[in-house]
This record gives sequence, structure tokens and C-alpha cells, in this order.
Amino acid sequence: MSETTPTEPRQLAAEARDRVRFEEEALELSDQVYRVARRLVGSREEAEDLMQETYARAFRSWQSYTPGTNLRAWLLRILTNLNIDRGRRKQRAPDMQPLEEGDYFLYNKIEEASREPVSEQDAVVERLSQDDVVSALSAVPHDFRDVLVLVDIGDFTYQDAAQILDIPIGTVMSRLHRGRRILKGELADKAVE
Amino acid sequence: MRAPGAGCVSAYLDPCDKCEEVMQPYLDRALDEGERAEAEAHLADCGYCRKRYRFEESLRVFVRQVCAEEMPPELKQKLAALRTPL
Repeated sequence: MSETTPTEPRQLAAEARDRVRFEEEALELSDQVYRVARRLVGSREEAEDLMQETYARAFRSWQSYTPGTNLRAWLLRILTNLNIDRGRRKQRAPDMQPLEEGDYFLYNKIEEASREPVSEQDAVVERLSQDDVVSALSAVPHDFRDVLVLVDIGDFTYQDAAQILDIPIGTVMSRLHRGRRILKGELADKAVE
Repeated sequence: MRAPGAGCVSAYLDPCDKCEEVMQPYLDRALDEGERAEAEAHLADCGYCRKRYRFEESLRVFVRQVCAEEMPPELKQKLAALRTPL
């Protein structure tokens, strides 16, 4: 007794193949996704939780991904939405905007503080440690940091970042520019300590 | 160095101020051709701005390098375990 059409098992097999391929591709990207996740949140534990929630959701809703489009951006969109849903936005006082200096501010500070001329390349490495950068980045308010991390650490285009965060591209650019300036302002304090 | 106000109407009296303002879009390759040519003409003449542009490039590379943290191998295994069983 067979009420199923002959194509059904074939369709099921094809779907299973597509799903497995999707899962493999998503897992291959996990290192890159983690690199971004780690800097969007404050701790390794939070990043790990967020990654697991993201992949669980991605594997559940794999059929809403359009093959051939940017899978890394698709995964990051899930991840940033989950991160926002966690309510971390509430932690930010909306009126608190850090002072924003110009783009030459950090270099000017370093130059002022140096007795001898420094090369532009050495100035960064000699004056700043990994901890300085990581803690300065975590001091950048979330809205700015999200864009900064996606573009400058995740290597996403403005367009991708706009889609991931569901904001206009002009907002991506202005937040990115301001975020970088805020970061440099934070770094300036550390560079001349 | 270009005379202030020469060529086009600009809000910047000092060309270095304008060069500072366009540094990020320049390094992101987001300027249009005319703006890029103008920035490059200024950079060719101005060591002050050139130094600061080079510093910015080094800083971006440095930030990217030091912020890159490897994913713990156990996490990769946990993610793989979330796949739908065959």
C-alpha cells in the first residue's frame, strides 16, 4: 500500500542534502562569526551563549536562508537580534554620549607626549597594548560599537552592516565614524598614561 | 598647499581640517572621484596629514589584530552538536 507519490522520498532526500550542506557551511563560518560575537559582548561566556543560541536558531530556520546570499551576514543578523533581545539596550543611559574628538586627536596626543619623534607605525604598537584596545572598545556605547565591530573587525561592508542591523546605510556611516572617534578618544587616555 | 577657498566653496578655511574630516571615508574608499583627488592632492603636499593618515591605517590593522580572539574548540563541538540528527 503506497499512498505517497514517487517523488516524495526523493524530495525528502534532496531537502536533507540541502540542510546538511547549509549546516556545514554555517559551521565553517563559525570562527568568523565568533570573532564578531566576542567583541559585541563583554565576556567569553556571553559570546559562547550567544553563539549557541544563534546556531540553534539558524539550524531550526535554515529554510528561510536564500542560497547564494551572504550566509555570514545572515548568521550575524540572527546573532545581533538575539543580542538586542537580551535586553542589554536597557543598560545604556540614552543621554550619555561620550565626548567626541576629531580624527587626528589620538595621534596628536601621542606626538605631544613623545619626547622623540615616533614613526606612525611604531606609535600604535609601542603605546597601546591588547588590553588597552579591548577595554577601550568595550567603553564605546553599543549602538556605535555594533557597527564598529561589524565593519572594522568583521570586515563587513557598509551595506552588509546596514542589513544586519536593519538600519539605513547613512546611519551605519555616521555611527561608524563617530564610533571610531570615540574609540580613539578612549585610546588617547591609555596611550599617554 | 592649496589656498583656502580656492576652487570650491568650502566650510573649511584650513585644508588640513577638511583632510581630517574626510580621512575615514577616504580610507574606506567611500569618497567620490573628485573628493578623492582633492584629498590626494593635499596629502601629496602635506606631511602633517600624511603622517596622521598612515597612523590611522596602522591603528586599524592593530585593532583588528588584537581584537581577534580564536573560538574555543569546545564551542565548535557544541555548535556541531546542534545540527539536526540524520
